[in-house]
Amino acid sequence: MTDKTILTVDDLALAYGSNPILKGVSMQLRRGEVVSLLGPSGSGKTTLLRAVAGLEQPHEGRVKIAGRTIYDGAAGIDVPAEKRDLGLVFQSYALWPHKTVFDNVAYPLKLRKVGSAEIAERVQAALKNLGLAHLAERYPHQLSGGQQQRVSIARALVYNPPVILLDEPLSNLDAKMREEARAWLRNLIVEMQLSALVVTHDQSEAMAMSDRILLLNGGVIEQQGTPQEMYSQPKTLFVADFMGSNNILKGRVAEIRGGEACVEVGEGLRLWGQRRNDAAVGQEVSVVVRVEQVRLAEGPAEHRVGIDLATSMFLGDRFEYVFHAGSALLRAWGSRQEASGRRWLEFPPDAVWVF
Amino acid sequence: MVAALALSVFFPLGLVFYQSVLSGPFFMPAARLSLEAFAFIFDDPDFWSATKNTLIIAVGMSVIAIPLGAILAFIMVRTDLPGRRWLETPILIPIFVSPVVLGFGYVVSLGPVGFFSVWFEQLFGSVPWNIYSMTSIVLIAGLTHVPHVYLYSSSALRNLGSDVEEAARLSGASPFRVARDVSIPMVSPALLYVGVLVFFLGFEIFGLPLILGDPEGHLVLTTYLYKLTNKLGTPSYHLMAAVATCIIAVTFPLVLLQRVLLKSAQRFVAVKGKSARQRRLALGGWKWVALALIGAWLVLTIVVPVAGVALRSVVSSWGAGINLLEVLTLDHFRAVFEEDTMIRSILNSVLIGTLGGAVAVGGYLLIGLATHRKPDGLSRFVDYVVLTPRAIPGLMAGLAVFWVFLFVPFLAPLRSTLFSVWFAYAVVWLAYGMRLIQSALMQVGPELEEAGRLVGASRARVSRDITVPLIRNGLLGSWLLIFMIFEREYSTGVYLLSPGTEVIGAQIVSLWASGAVDVVAALSLINMLLVGCGLALALRFGVKLHD
Repeated sequence: MTDKTILTVDDLALAYGSNPILKGVSMQLRRGEVVSLLGPSGSGKTTLLRAVAGLEQPHEGRVKIAGRTIYDGAAGIDVPAEKRDLGLVFQSYALWPHKTVFDNVAYPLKLRKVGSAEIAERVQAALKNLGLAHLAERYPHQLSGGQQQRVSIARALVYNPPVILLDEPLSNLDAKMREEARAWLRNLIVEMQLSALVVTHDQSEAMAMSDRILLLNGGVIEQQGTPQEMYSQPKTLFVADFMGSNNILKGRVAEIRGGEACVEVGEGLRLWGQRRNDAAVGQEVSVVVRVEQVRLAEGPAEHRVGIDLATSMFLGDRFEYVFHAGSALLRAWGSRQEASGRRWLEFPPDAVWVF
Repeated sequence: MVAALALSVFFPLGLVFYQSVLSGPFFMPAARLSLEAFAFIFDDPDFWSATKNTLIIAVGMSVIAIPLGAILAFIMVRTDLPGRRWLETPILIPIFVSPVVLGFGYVVSLGPVGFFSVWFEQLFGSVPWNIYSMTSIVLIAGLTHVPHVYLYSSSALRNLGSDVEEAARLSGASPFRVARDVSIPMVSPALLYVGVLVFFLGFEIFGLPLILGDPEGHLVLTTYLYKLTNKLGTPSYHLMAAVATCIIAVTFPLVLLQRVLLKSAQRFVAVKGKSARQRRLALGGWKWVALALIGAWLVLTIVVPVAGVALRSVVSSWGAGINLLEVLTLDHFRAVFEEDTMIRSILNSVLIGTLGGAVAVGGYLLIGLATHRKPDGLSRFVDYVVLTPRAIPGLMAGLAVFWVFLFVPFLAPLRSTLFSVWFAYAVVWLAYGMRLIQSALMQVGPELEEAGRLVGASRARVSRDITVPLIRNGLLGSWLLIFMIFEREYSTGVYLLSPGTEVIGAQIVSLWASGAVDVVAALSLINMLLVGCGLALALRFGVKLHD
């Protein structure tokens, strides 16, 4: 832990009644860093964000922001949400429908007893920064979804909170706008040197936006690291499966050679891959290989298998081929339409993981 | 504030219980602890006949109101009945008309010499009904409580996905078979709740049996209590308290049962809630049957009594052979406006509805905000405190409040002011008002309030700057509904009636006893007009008459 750390969560536990949601989560956020909380629904990622914000009641652990303890279960410290000085961008934006854009953004400053001239100046600056200057007098319902999101961000930033929390910031935008907004948001965070904690359920969003990803599963952190680490060095089957598009095949270890294992997956189909746990010969394992790592090859060679192509689907920027691998289906990508029939597929052994 | 609330609810109630175990009125030095009062009423054959009648009415009402209300709800919510948008408001009117006014309307319309009876006799030779019999009382009570059943079953039906009905239709069921075999069974938890509610209302019923039961001496528990004073000629507070305790012993468990049932009904609906797409059943030729059914009910429960009151208030005499056009008069209204007490009762009624209603809504709002989205022990406690007055019929609540103002020395000067009446009204309608406020508060998305907390506003500040401004319309609606309810209220003011505290409802009850029918007619019409104003305003502002 260095003094660059701005948010520290230490062993945080939270339960709804007898149902534990967070089972001791620890994490840090450094100044100027974007960290994503990623996980399937029910993994506790939103609960963690809300507990940091002071909207949920943990029963154990500590939360520290910029050196100030805001929650400590053992010491009985629990700073109410309004005294935590955090910015939160809600999934639904939560703009107050009875206030104009200006008033929405001005409210936090009004609460901080800032003079009205300074409020006008700072709100205008914030709105201008987000390209909303011309919308100040509108009401939220007169804005598009994207504009509402920007107002919500302006409101969360206008009082310069040390950390900004974003709850599924892109999920309310339609699919096309989402990619643009993703780039815009990442750029904004980097340019303004914000420290941000982002909740998302979308792995590509998490990878695109953040410096670090925390993958939660069932109330604990399954793995954390940079997007590249998370994608290419998954430590568990859950992480490997959650990140990226995968082929997952069940099989039995047939042979072990150092760090590599040969797995038999269905009749005659044998794959060599990296051993990711200490499964012994004869044991049931799962083989994971990213769809983009499987390549259609011209003829037989090492690490290639002959397999039946069932159909190919056009996805716009590429084709997806579907193969019969015993009882399972295998997917691969390519650039041309292929007729069904016998094909050769190459599985590079360092891209095949055996769990 | 919670303490003040608890005190306002439990102190009057405690006083009733305390009084019931004394041998005389609490202000008499000779009164001591004893069970004499209970022994006396349990020995009184009238008490048992009143209990029997109360049970007959409660059961009869449920038997009539529940099927009719459920069918009405099905027709209104799930079918393509023509004109259903127009029917929605009239259906709810009986809820807002004072039962004494209704009862009076039935007497002047269908009584032995009522307008409709006389016409009917001229046409057919004799009148086959007797408005004062138990059968008529049960029938009228049942018909006038159909809207209560309608309210709850319609909101449950609204939450039901239409796919289940379409499936029944495709399997060959007619619209009414669909209602009977699929829709209504699926909302049975709501029906069970409303069944208990109607049964409970049967125990509270006062205005109808007071007016319709009197000529043939049919007493129910509330009218028995009311008549106790006349019976003995002395203030028999201990006996009244004993009767009240007996009634509460039945109603309080019923209220608790309703609470449990309501929760389970909501859970049921939540599971089945696929309200997004709903297609209405085509009634086809059945629509005429449905319209005729609704029309007949509306005529019997609204048109007949209301027309009777209106007509009675503008004629000097009536009967066989009299042309009503020749006896038209405004004398009754003149009589009302010549007497100070009458004018005062009208002004007081308006004041208590407008200003009193606003203050009551303000109070309910404060209680609502104090417990809003705070699932702690205090909120649960407040929930039960709020529920308690629901179990106490208005007549007894008014009596209890009267005693409080008699019992507590520093409150005594307020007894003969309108404050005592307002206080009793506000406590009696606490549960209703809180439901209005809470449903308005629940409309505010939690994240709007959380966003306020996050940017630095305290709970109180969030309430002031975000929650309250957002429920302005809900508050206006609550105020209008409370206005109508306060205008309609009659039993709560009965014991608080004194020079200076007259309100129309209580005035009608007391005038009825003295036989001043002309003035009762005029006051009844004025009362209906006041409620009508509230209703018109509510419709104008698009207030939903139910939640």
